[in-house]
Amino acid sequence: MNIALVGNPNVGKSVLFSRMTGIGVISSNYPGTTVEFEEGRIVRSGEVLTIFDLPGTYSLAGISEDELVTTRLLAERNPDVVIAVADATRLAQSLVLILQLVELGYRVVVALNFMDVARRRFSIDVVKLSEILHLPVVPTVAVTGEGVDELIQVIAARKVPRSDFVVRYDTHIESLLSALSSETGDRTGPFPSRGALLKLLEGNEYFAGVFQSATIEKAVRLREEFREEHMESIEVHISRDRFGEAGRVISEVVGKLEAPPSLGERISELTLRPFTGSIILLLVLSGVFLSVVFVGGTIESLLAQTYRAIVGDAFADLAALIGGQAGLAVARGIDLSLQAILSIVIPYILVFYIVLGLLEDSGYLPRAVALLDGLMHKIGLHGRAIIPMIVGMGCNVPAILATRVIESRRERLILVTITIMAVPCSAQVAVILGTVGHFAGLGYAVLIFAILLAILLILGRLLHRAMKFEPSTLAIEIPDLSVPRPRNVLYKTYMRVKDFFVIAFPILLVGSLVLETLTQYGILDKVVDPLSPFTVGFLGLPAVTIIALIFGVLRKEMSLQLLVLLFGTANLATVLSPEQLFVFALIMATYMPCLSAFAVMLKEFGLKDTIKVTVSSVVLAFSLGGIAHILFAVF
Amino acid sequence: MASENVEEYLECVFDLTRNGSPAKTSDIAACMKVSPASVTEMVQRLSDLGFLDYEKYKGATLTEKGAEVATRIKRKHRLAESFLVRILGMRRGESHEEACRLEHTLSDESERRICQMMNNPQVCPDGKPIPQCDRECRLCESEPSMPLSDLEDGEAGLITHLRCEESPAKIRRLISMGFVPGRRVLVEEEVPAGGPFVVKLDECRIAIGREYASIVHVKRCA
Repeated sequence: MNIALVGNPNVGKSVLFSRMTGIGVISSNYPGTTVEFEEGRIVRSGEVLTIFDLPGTYSLAGISEDELVTTRLLAERNPDVVIAVADATRLAQSLVLILQLVELGYRVVVALNFMDVARRRFSIDVVKLSEILHLPVVPTVAVTGEGVDELIQVIAARKVPRSDFVVRYDTHIESLLSALSSETGDRTGPFPSRGALLKLLEGNEYFAGVFQSATIEKAVRLREEFREEHMESIEVHISRDRFGEAGRVISEVVGKLEAPPSLGERISELTLRPFTGSIILLLVLSGVFLSVVFVGGTIESLLAQTYRAIVGDAFADLAALIGGQAGLAVARGIDLSLQAILSIVIPYILVFYIVLGLLEDSGYLPRAVALLDGLMHKIGLHGRAIIPMIVGMGCNVPAILATRVIESRRERLILVTITIMAVPCSAQVAVILGTVGHFAGLGYAVLIFAILLAILLILGRLLHRAMKFEPSTLAIEIPDLSVPRPRNVLYKTYMRVKDFFVIAFPILLVGSLVLETLTQYGILDKVVDPLSPFTVGFLGLPAVTIIALIFGVLRKEMSLQLLVLLFGTANLATVLSPEQLFVFALIMATYMPCLSAFAVMLKEFGLKDTIKVTVSSVVLAFSLGGIAHILFAVF
Repeated sequence: MASENVEEYLECVFDLTRNGSPAKTSDIAACMKVSPASVTEMVQRLSDLGFLDYEKYKGATLTEKGAEVATRIKRKHRLAESFLVRILGMRRGESHEEACRLEHTLSDESERRICQMMNNPQVCPDGKPIPQCDRECRLCESEPSMPLSDLEDGEAGLITHLRCEESPAKIRRLISMGFVPGRRVLVEEEVPAGGPFVVKLDECRIAIGREYASIVHVKRCA
């Protein structure tokens, strides 16, 4: 049996899916987490149930990406049963989607989720709801698993009928429907003709495909006539009537309880008030930053010590075993990649993902989006862009993936460019703090962060103008605040770190081996002299630092260790002036992303745009370095 | 109070004299579908009652008193027709006939409410201008529909319509999130610095940008 999970964004589909199948899916308390669909199988009383989780959608109108994906997948997979996941606390939205599923002739069972929260606020007559809609309705609490078993039982027992509930639309729409269905004898496949015709009238592109061209032309003309006659498009009237119907159903099944606002609700209010909200936002963002830097830093030094103690001479032995320069290159290459994992991935990225997971599940992120939308618009971005930018403070790789929540490609590209150039990732932060911050004073580090902020603002405006792009306006649902469940947060962290390993580790390993080989055979040293006019003359840095800068392409944080190696001293203050440290850190902070980020960008945006962004970031980084050097020389 | 028949005649003269020249009895007869003889008789009567100025061989024009009645009827007709078509979704042929009946019976109070609900429409569905309200209509003045973005924090409104000249993509996004006519929307917070509006639609809390908020038209409500 094929079973589809359909519902509005953020109603807990993914959690329900994990509960039903035992397969992990990343779920978050902000809309749009499931970008591609997941599939899982379970066996119940001898029957194989194949369950697939679809992206959250508000309707089946087939206009936006998620709506189109959902209508198409539903039609292609033709599920035997559709589980409509409804949010009991916001029933109207969910009912509108359910009514559309019923209209299209699917066998629907309603999973009335978040029942625990809903019960505290009002009474819902589940039996009556089921009677009105002619559908089985199962109350569930996905996070605790309540009702999940019953849901599976109802499906396995084949107790899900086709509902004969019909929404009546206004007289004009009804007359169009009957005119169309009597005039055109089109076969509409598995769909009832009324439902398919409604979708056609609504302008759903997918459904245009099931009709003959004469019918489609007629529908287009009727849509146009309707619009001229009513000065409103037909889909507004269709939606209005669906919401009207949903409201009528709700008035029959939902009773109000007078519940005083809970503590959570009162905190929730504060997070949205401009004044208190901004303070909370600032605290949250600095909390993210500080926990990554300090908790990460502490874990890093612990791990580094443990690593050295465990590994001991193992790599020296390995080098000896293989022999020669090749042996050294291989051994050191592997050693360095492992160190990278221990010094960056585990401490910083892991900590960051845990913090991010907590933020996501608490439902706080959409609040940050709402508060910052105005400001983000001024730099040509959508409020939603704040999420990838926060993610970028951890690592650019997931940040680039996170830009998928933005619909327009141009806007995504602007966002990725800004994130790569102006949002310091944890490795870049480590370099900034470990060089100028440590040896030249925190003032210099703060100055670099200020420069990054300025780049962010200026770049945003420039790109916005150059690409002639108006950011789309915001419409995002703000979920209730809730206490994150450790299980879900840890699970997500695990999945994401795993993804990171899969994408980044091979690149890291190959890159390290190549660079080590170049070093061992002295090839890298050969570029020191030819490039010294640039390094010394333009940037005012010692000639050998170019090696550290080139290494930055592979791994930012390594360039710091490399400086130590190149100069043969851990006290960089003795070999580099504060100004030189500043120039070095500034270049590292704006420099192109590491190879892993490059690879992900390539996958998401293609070669042309990736190279454009990379080249411009390198040019920007070195120009800034040069300008800083000149300014230091002048003043 | 003028009878229904009187109102029909005045309306007919109103239509025929719009080009500035007096209405000929033959034209009135064609418009009212009666014989020219009965038109002459009726026009004479209306002239006696002070609704029309009638000159033989030249035709009839509305007096100030007559114009007032005719304008009011015309306004009611076109408002009613707009209401039937735009709000109830009736087809135009049916709506015209029904509006012809309603124009004589629609109370002034209903007229005001329709006007208010539809944001004081300027033209009726067939594009003819709706004669503007000539009364001291305090309801209209104080409570026309307005963009959602004009509501203050803590105020609620009933959605009357979505501005239809906007791009279909935006309209569809709004309706899919539940911004449809007839629903109540409460503005909880207007985030400063060009930020979005945090609104509540039933139990849903949604942040919508200014551009979206200016598309949704509402009528203030408690």
